[in-house]
Amino acid sequence: MNPFEKIFNYQIISRLDESNAIALTSQERAWLRTALAHDSSVDAFTPETLGKLRQLLQDESGIDHRDMIVEKAKHAERQVYHPLLRTLRRLIMQDKGMLLTSRIKHGGTKTNQPGLPVKLEYSMVKREWYLLWYSTRGRSFMATKLQSIVSFEETVLPAERVEELRGRVSALLEERRRQAVIEVVRTYSAELSRILYAFSCFDKSVSYDEEENLYRIHVTYLADEGEFLLSRIRFLGLRVKIVEGDELRRRMLESAEKALARYGNEAHRAEQTEKPAP
Amino acid sequence: MARESFDKEVQFLRLLALAGGAYNRQQFASRLGISVHTYDKTLRYLKDMRTSLQPLSATQESDLAEGLRYNHYESADPLLLFLFRAKSLKESESVRLSLTITLLQDRELTAKELLDACSESMPSDFLCPDEKTIRGDLKYLEEVGVVTRCEGGRPYRYRASNDLIDCLTDEELLDLYDYVDVMANTQAPAVQGYLLRDTLKKALGRRGFAPEAAETHLYKYHYHSRILDEAHLHTIFQAIRERRRLRFLYLSPKKGKNYASKNTNPLFEREPEGSDETTLPLLVIYDHQYGRWYLIGHSAKLGMMKYRMEGITQIETGDAVPETDFVERLERARAQLERSWVTDTLRPVKVVARFYNPDRSGANFVRDRVEAQGQWGTIREESESTFLYEITVNGIYEIKPWLRSFGSSCEVLEPAWLRKELSAEWEEIRKYYESVRENI
Repeated sequence: MNPFEKIFNYQIISRLDESNAIALTSQERAWLRTALAHDSSVDAFTPETLGKLRQLLQDESGIDHRDMIVEKAKHAERQVYHPLLRTLRRLIMQDKGMLLTSRIKHGGTKTNQPGLPVKLEYSMVKREWYLLWYSTRGRSFMATKLQSIVSFEETVLPAERVEELRGRVSALLEERRRQAVIEVVRTYSAELSRILYAFSCFDKSVSYDEEENLYRIHVTYLADEGEFLLSRIRFLGLRVKIVEGDELRRRMLESAEKALARYGNEAHRAEQTEKPAP
Repeated sequence: MARESFDKEVQFLRLLALAGGAYNRQQFASRLGISVHTYDKTLRYLKDMRTSLQPLSATQESDLAEGLRYNHYESADPLLLFLFRAKSLKESESVRLSLTITLLQDRELTAKELLDACSESMPSDFLCPDEKTIRGDLKYLEEVGVVTRCEGGRPYRYRASNDLIDCLTDEELLDLYDYVDVMANTQAPAVQGYLLRDTLKKALGRRGFAPEAAETHLYKYHYHSRILDEAHLHTIFQAIRERRRLRFLYLSPKKGKNYASKNTNPLFEREPEGSDETTLPLLVIYDHQYGRWYLIGHSAKLGMMKYRMEGITQIETGDAVPETDFVERLERARAQLERSWVTDTLRPVKVVARFYNPDRSGANFVRDRVEAQGQWGTIREESESTFLYEITVNGIYEIKPWLRSFGSSCEVLEPAWLRKELSAEWEEIRKYYESVRENI
């Protein structure tokens, strides 16, 4: 399965686009055959469709490379596909509104909340699906776990209303946007690659000051995503330092002080009584 | 067939994706070990390719030189996929192949009929192909599975093998697109899945679905550059299957240079940086913490070797080894790596940590995270507000960042020296932010 085949060449693809033609390769079919072997396929298709797909692919070689791959530090895979994705994605595609009934954090349910479903979002960190929607009652942009959805009912919204609500969502997202600047501590420049990889899952840009030999990572994030950003910064420890972003800086100080309190004065005491660390 | 290397493009895109915006032309070129002229040429080539694949807005256009940035809320399209569309091709060949595929979309044709049809539809600035060329093209297209030979005797008839798409109803096609989208984005390897996603997206367009129909899903905190590392997977998997050694120039990511140009002009020849490696590939590791791939191999002199995929360039397949050697080395490597947090094979250490449940009532996100990410470690209840986590792991270097990421919700108990190290680190971190208090 060499992905560098000439059939994938961009000139061929754009010419095929012009003539509205399709080139489907055995590499793509073989990948699909392997993908369909995953347990989640039963949630993604009706049994008839799944049977049909398996039959259409039965002659593909489907060489499986998974035995040569070891995945490490993986988050337990709770859910890859959620059965509600099929119906919810159609609501979004057809610009429908909804009445949503969902469980809330501290127990109990909220029934028939009116709103507009906007996107379905999978968090690679939590390995879970969320419905992003606009609540017309609360006038807010919401993220509800698909796991917490009890039921929903389709409603019809006039096209202008949908347009208006989508506009509000963009405005709300804009409002929530925050910026932080994270500096790579110079002593750790040798680990630059690792540090940049750790931030590569954020919306970010990097600046470099040649005179000072200093790298700064400018991260744009949504206010409620600050927690994950902080956990990444703590993950990297002494290698990075937040230089802009008062709230994040305050939280880091708080973390450090609380952590030191956990270790108590004991660390200090140990220094005097115990042998040095190996 | 001439071997084509995409090392330069891969490293170029990786530097754009990771350090986007950081360097000017001069700095960028020197980090890749290429001239500014080559930098300009490569950038132009990548830009041309990208624009011809998807029309870009003015901001995206100017963005490419400054790095690849995603607007998460707009689209889940993998921008780096265009690397895999970079194979060079003569224009006449691209015209001919695409015309052949187009002609075979909805009908069956023999090579002769195809030749006639080609001659009619070939753009005037290109020569009409002869029958031998057409037969050669059909053979290639059949090999890659794009065209299929229909049942029946000579003369053979051919048609595009689009059954997978054509046999599905609109609803079924939409379900298939979604599934491929989800699996390509959440599973590895993903390149072929993303290519299929592109194809199906086009098929949806042909059926009259609006482009937005393919944009209902988003993936948060995605390691986009992971698909660049997949560029070597094909060669590696094939070598593993055939028990063959691999030779490559390894540029350790720690040395700061990401690419070594192969100069053909001896006047400009420099000492190549990096090291020539020969290794028997055993398996690959995908690290979910950074979205990075590693190659695990065995070298005659040094035993088990670990290479970061991003440092591997000029990869070539070498000679084969006996099956028994391979099996023995693979088993040993698997055993050595069993207790590695990622790839560390240092002496196993027992680590015990106390975790504190959040003060607030409701979801216990500390417990959730430890359960989901703690790999083979075990959990023991301790009190209302705490639980203990215990793991025996090869070395502490790889697990330490994870423990630290919990902040004050995690207190390391054992080994004592690790406890002391973390305590000292928190003291340093506190100093980083001391000034915050003064500002308040």
